[in-house]
Amino acid sequence: MQYTQRRFDAVELELLWRRLISLVDEAAAALVRTSFSTLVRESYDFSCVVTDAQGQSLVQATESIPSFIGTLPETVKHFLRFFPVEALQPGDVLITNDLWLGTGHLPDITVAKPIFRNGRVVAFSASTAHAPDIGGKIRSPEPREVFEEGLQIPPMKLMRGGQPDDTLVAIIRKNVRTPEQTMGDLWAQVVALDLMEARLKVLMDQAGLEDLSDLAREVQARCENAMRAAIAALPDGTYHSELQTDGLMDKPVTIRMALTITGDRIHVDYAGTDPQVDRAINCALCYTYAMTMYGVKVCTTPTLPNNEGAWRPISIAAPEGCIVNPVFPASGGSRMLIGHYLPMLVFGCLGQVVPERVMAATGSPMWGMNQSGVNAAGKPYANMFFFNGGMGGNVRGDGISCLSWPSNVSSTAVEISEHIAPIRIHHKRLRPDSGGPGKHRGGLGQEILIESRSETPIAVSFLAERTIFPAFGVEGGRNGAPGMLRINGEIVDPKRQYVLQRGETVLLATPGGGGHGDPAARDPHALEADLASGHVTDSTPYGE
Amino acid sequence: MTASLSLGIDIGGTFTDLVLLDPSDGRAVIWKESTTPDEPARGAMVGVERLLAKAGVAASRVGRVVHATTLFTNALIERKGAPTGLLTTAGFADVLEIARERKYELYDLFLEMPRPLVPRPWRREAPERLGPDGTVEKALDVAATLEEVAGLVAQGVTSLGICFLHAYANPVHERQAAEAIARRFPQLSLSLSSEIAPEIREYPRTVTTVANAYVRPLAETYLKRLETELKRVGIGGELFLMLSSGGLTHVAEAKRAPVQLLESGPAAGALAGAWFGRHAGLERVLAFDMGGTTAKLALVDGGEPLVAWGFEAARTKRFLRGSGLPIQIATVELIEIGAGGGSIARRSDLGTLHVGPESAGAQPGPVSYGRGGTEPTVTDADLALGYLNGDFFLGGAMRIDTATARAALARLADRIELDQPRAAFGVHDVVNENMAGAARVAIAERGRVPQDYALLATGGAAPVHAWQVGTKLGIGRVVCPPGAGVGSTIGMLMAPARVDRVASFNQALAHTDWAEVERVLAALQADAEQVVRASGADLAQRRLRKLADMRYVGQGSEITVALPEPLSAEGVLEAFETAYRRLFGRTPPGAAVQFVALRLSVAAPMPGAGSALRLETHAAEAALKGRRPVYFPEEGGTLETPVYDRYALPAGAQLDGPAVFEENESTFVVGPGARISVLRDLSILAERTA
Repeated sequence: MQYTQRRFDAVELELLWRRLISLVDEAAAALVRTSFSTLVRESYDFSCVVTDAQGQSLVQATESIPSFIGTLPETVKHFLRFFPVEALQPGDVLITNDLWLGTGHLPDITVAKPIFRNGRVVAFSASTAHAPDIGGKIRSPEPREVFEEGLQIPPMKLMRGGQPDDTLVAIIRKNVRTPEQTMGDLWAQVVALDLMEARLKVLMDQAGLEDLSDLAREVQARCENAMRAAIAALPDGTYHSELQTDGLMDKPVTIRMALTITGDRIHVDYAGTDPQVDRAINCALCYTYAMTMYGVKVCTTPTLPNNEGAWRPISIAAPEGCIVNPVFPASGGSRMLIGHYLPMLVFGCLGQVVPERVMAATGSPMWGMNQSGVNAAGKPYANMFFFNGGMGGNVRGDGISCLSWPSNVSSTAVEISEHIAPIRIHHKRLRPDSGGPGKHRGGLGQEILIESRSETPIAVSFLAERTIFPAFGVEGGRNGAPGMLRINGEIVDPKRQYVLQRGETVLLATPGGGGHGDPAARDPHALEADLASGHVTDSTPYGE
Repeated sequence: MTASLSLGIDIGGTFTDLVLLDPSDGRAVIWKESTTPDEPARGAMVGVERLLAKAGVAASRVGRVVHATTLFTNALIERKGAPTGLLTTAGFADVLEIARERKYELYDLFLEMPRPLVPRPWRREAPERLGPDGTVEKALDVAATLEEVAGLVAQGVTSLGICFLHAYANPVHERQAAEAIARRFPQLSLSLSSEIAPEIREYPRTVTTVANAYVRPLAETYLKRLETELKRVGIGGELFLMLSSGGLTHVAEAKRAPVQLLESGPAAGALAGAWFGRHAGLERVLAFDMGGTTAKLALVDGGEPLVAWGFEAARTKRFLRGSGLPIQIATVELIEIGAGGGSIARRSDLGTLHVGPESAGAQPGPVSYGRGGTEPTVTDADLALGYLNGDFFLGGAMRIDTATARAALARLADRIELDQPRAAFGVHDVVNENMAGAARVAIAERGRVPQDYALLATGGAAPVHAWQVGTKLGIGRVVCPPGAGVGSTIGMLMAPARVDRVASFNQALAHTDWAEVERVLAALQADAEQVVRASGADLAQRRLRKLADMRYVGQGSEITVALPEPLSAEGVLEAFETAYRRLFGRTPPGAAVQFVALRLSVAAPMPGAGSALRLETHAAEAALKGRRPVYFPEEGGTLETPVYDRYALPAGAQLDGPAVFEENESTFVVGPGARISVLRDLSILAERTA
């Protein structure tokens, strides 16, 4: 095709970039407000993106969780392999929740819409959001194969030329516990796609753009160059880190990383990492990719806008069949129990060259309790509540207590939880002494005591990690307190499912963050304040 | 002579704006006094006496005083409130510190979260428990509660917030505790969550309650002082306070719940927009205020600013959502953007032109001020483009230097590989896009289109930018009211008395107990009208609004819907679905609808709220001051443009763009292809003809 390449000056580019950001943010705002899923609307467990005709991202919504920023543009590229542009018509909406092509677990549904101009595809609007339910064994580490985890939707068309595929809709409705809400959220995602399309067309009209290729090339190149410059400023070399996770409790999992800086490129290799397991903690390569990129970006270019260009200088390899690159039919519903450790491994490597840009280990992966059952009226229900541990201390200060990281999932209000589930929460409080001692101590974890008030049994499963291996301190800082799960007062295996009868209790204690620096060097006033507040009750680690 | 004049006092961070209005003929006199931050009432009173002297009227002629202040917001931001304690349900003292558990910035490892207003040692627990429906599951242990409070009082706590779980559903325990505490510690100031913000979700409710407790002793002292001082100078008229909602209330209500006053200054600005818009015959107005550091936008529909049911105060990162304290109080919806005359233009890391949010502020200020600023700002670009007049800045009170502005812009132009004029207009254009972008998202979030609005520009910089911002938004009408510098103070004098009340109401629409709805609304109405009546407003002309927060069952965010009369399930469903479709395009099929809360709003006009405005004008023959070259992008260069003294233009004058209108505090710039008319109140209306 013949066309002249359009150039953009510093002002034009800024103006167009701003318009792109505001259009995806507008779509994101609409999605949050129309969504049924608590995860989407209160935890921003979604993302919206505009890609060029090749599926390379131009701009992504400001508020979304880090994992989707990495996975969503990749899913659009997968769509293009199944549906080349010739197979698309205006009004089509593509859909999938494939574990390997999507985000590594089935509840995340991705939809994408081709945007046409003068008869050809010039862009895609796309969105991933966490569905209220996808069927299968509720969010638990127990499933051994993906088949147990719910409905799998291969890449296909949810809408053809503006018409929904009634067969697919009927199948989805039949396979999920909450058909109205799951479908309601899907239509909310379609609203967001339509909105991005409409705004993008106006933008292209006003800017006189026939397609997006020149603009895409320009914004991607700028981000790529910035990322390359940031990497080039780091010393070349191969840096290693490894850590152990609780894994299957009796069988910890070891993850190994070798991060190589060569000029303006980074290569990350997970060789030596333990094999995949027959539990749902396997972390598909798409999620591994996203979490690794997140770690690199935090240390190198935290303020850079997200688009394809930023990722080009970074490559990732993981042996097939290892836990960070599992193969079919591995289960992965709780892949964050591995995936959330990966940015920490990046810190382990890059901390050797830029220690001021990393923190001690955090009390992540995130914690959660899933409940499902049949209520007194005979209706099935399912709820997921999240809880977070403490952040690691860093060179500038203490870790923040109870903060979602690397994800960004807030906890549900106690009052809301008690409204939507037959439970009472007896306390939700900070855990004294859980922050790892240090010159800058780790953030505190929290303790939550929950009692069933249900006449019918409640099946509960958990997201719970760092019950064996605590968040480690760095630069002489000490470890944070490990997490703990008790049912009716007894310490239990958090990777299994349990059934609660009325009056039975669950106690979750999330891990504290690791400390940063020698505790003896802690500012005496800070220690005094900690003692006064009860955040620290034992000052012996501080040399007192 | 009757005491018929209205006095407005708006205490801001730098200046205290005062205006004296004679509602009988609309004659207004304005005055600006420096704020005295250590004792704001002092500066205000100096201003009052000088204003009265300027106007040549006796203090006894002031019939009422309307007041807005940033004092309480500042106390919250600077953490200068009372030693405040918090009493919670046993097991939940840490709710305030655990907060939302979310990052407000994804990639920043060094986040600073807002510090809780009450430190851990002053957060105490009371043995008690309610169920989610308000049922008492464990009775309040009064003796144990009093013991906890005694500990706080012994440590010097003077104000106490009480926030128990599910108190929005049943205030019984909070009231029991409050009664017992008041008997034992009568000097302790008490704020109850069931009275301040009776809405579900313990974290924001606790924050709102504690914020009220934190500023309440300060509010009581300050308001008492102001009342005394006004009496001392001979002003017998009653004192009213501007609420964040854009309504007025009396002193007793302000002392009870001062958390309602946090945004009183910005609310007054939005009201001024509404008022001038109404007088220009405009139904829908986008009020646009731009000062030195920030720009603020407020939507005005049907002559009233839109009100949101919560906002975020004291952000640790000013423009980042999630970095502040959630306050569940009716507040005029304001979009704040880091864009002002002092916003600095720089080459970004990516080689594009960034403008703001960093600001040169007043010190060192723009390069052209000659106070040591070296990086070009929006004001410098506006000067270089001919929008501002270096010899007539602040009415000539200050000379600003075009040559140094151009030189600084030329250095920036080099860094971004552009010529100087292109860079100068780029600065202007980028800051306009930042504001237009925020406006686009905000308008779309409400299911509206920008073309239905007129842009109304107040504040020093907004009239300079309004025409171009309007172009970006596709807005055809731009209004610049007179007295832009003290516009918000004028707005206050026009404000109605207003009360907003909320009650939690969790029922499915299909199974609604309508008698209960009527009962709840009647109780809210009785309470609200009592406050409005006590304000001296004309209840006969009151406007009553019955609203409900509703959602589809399973959704977690609500929309606020006006309830139809008479109430019926079908009517409410239709109102909800219409509002939902308008916002989101489509309704999910087959989903059930529920109530979350009932709201009631009463507004009634205040006597003495004038309906016209007359400012001092100059002689008409001096209207055309001269001509100067002014840059217009549609011309790709400068046009020799007439410059007018806006106060010399008589009402009814008609002109064509391009034109520049100067006044002391601002300059209104209108591009080619505009039809311009001077309205009766001396507002200038510019309409796009093409």
